[in-house]
Amino acid sequence: MIVRLSKRYGFAASHRLYSPALTEEENRETYGKCANPHGHGHNYEVELTVCGTVDPVTGRVVALDLLNGIAEKQILAPFRYRNLNEEVTVFQTVVPTTENLGVEVDRRLRAAWSETFGEGGPRLEKVCIWETDRNICEISTGAVADAEGWGSARSEKDIR
Amino acid sequence: MVISKKVEFSASHICRSAQLTDAENERIYGAAANPLGHGHNYVVEVAIEGDPDPVTGMILDLKRLREILEEKVLNVYDHRLLNREVEPFDRRVPTVENIAIDIWNRVHPWIGGRARLHAVRVHETAELSVEYRGEQ
Repeated sequence: MIVRLSKRYGFAASHRLYSPALTEEENRETYGKCANPHGHGHNYEVELTVCGTVDPVTGRVVALDLLNGIAEKQILAPFRYRNLNEEVTVFQTVVPTTENLGVEVDRRLRAAWSETFGEGGPRLEKVCIWETDRNICEISTGAVADAEGWGSARSEKDIR
Repeated sequence: MVISKKVEFSASHICRSAQLTDAENERIYGAAANPLGHGHNYVVEVAIEGDPDPVTGMILDLKRLREILEEKVLNVYDHRLLNREVEPFDRRVPTVENIAIDIWNRVHPWIGGRARLHAVRVHETAELSVEYRGEQ
């Protein structure tokens, strides 16, 4: 039987929404207070939805320790209590909006997925990010990143 | 069009399989493998799909849906030890995956007319939920 399991995680981080491709005035118009030069932070929540078949013995669709492990290693540890613009490589060139954060979370998870779960294991179906209770972004896995070749030429190594 | 109804129940369970060793049970289920059990406040969302009736404007009378959920799910699950008191959990581990599948099986036969059961989502905690759409 095929089920979808969703697990939610949290991390706190700071960011600034500012694009060098826009003028100061355009940045202020586009991002408002989020363009303030010194940045600001959020308590982010990330929900990962995994789809697969329920194991008849364990009753589980995914090993939760492995799911928690990949989330911790790929997302929470690199992002927790960080300045995203300064300390996460991709956000030196990409504005860390909720949308782009979702794309990066999805990309990082997919890059480590088969190594963690093996071939034919449960698949990542959806990533949902809450920047606040009222600002939420949902991404069908792979859709955006694959279309735009996101991060394909970038180093995976963070700055620190 | 999809419309959802949310209900709640509280129950205890033990996530252990007799087919696994103690070490495997603890690795797979963590603290949930405690043989003396533990409990949750479960939240169940049942999503119904269909076109609204042109006269009543309803896909399914939500009062009727509430009655079905009370009779077929809440009366069976609420304030019970699932492993001992709710079939099939005498022989199947009451993970949130299996709970979602079992609730689907209990509700599905009672949804008719212009309504189809679309999904059952069970929240075990604020962080963990499972959705089942009847797919084999």
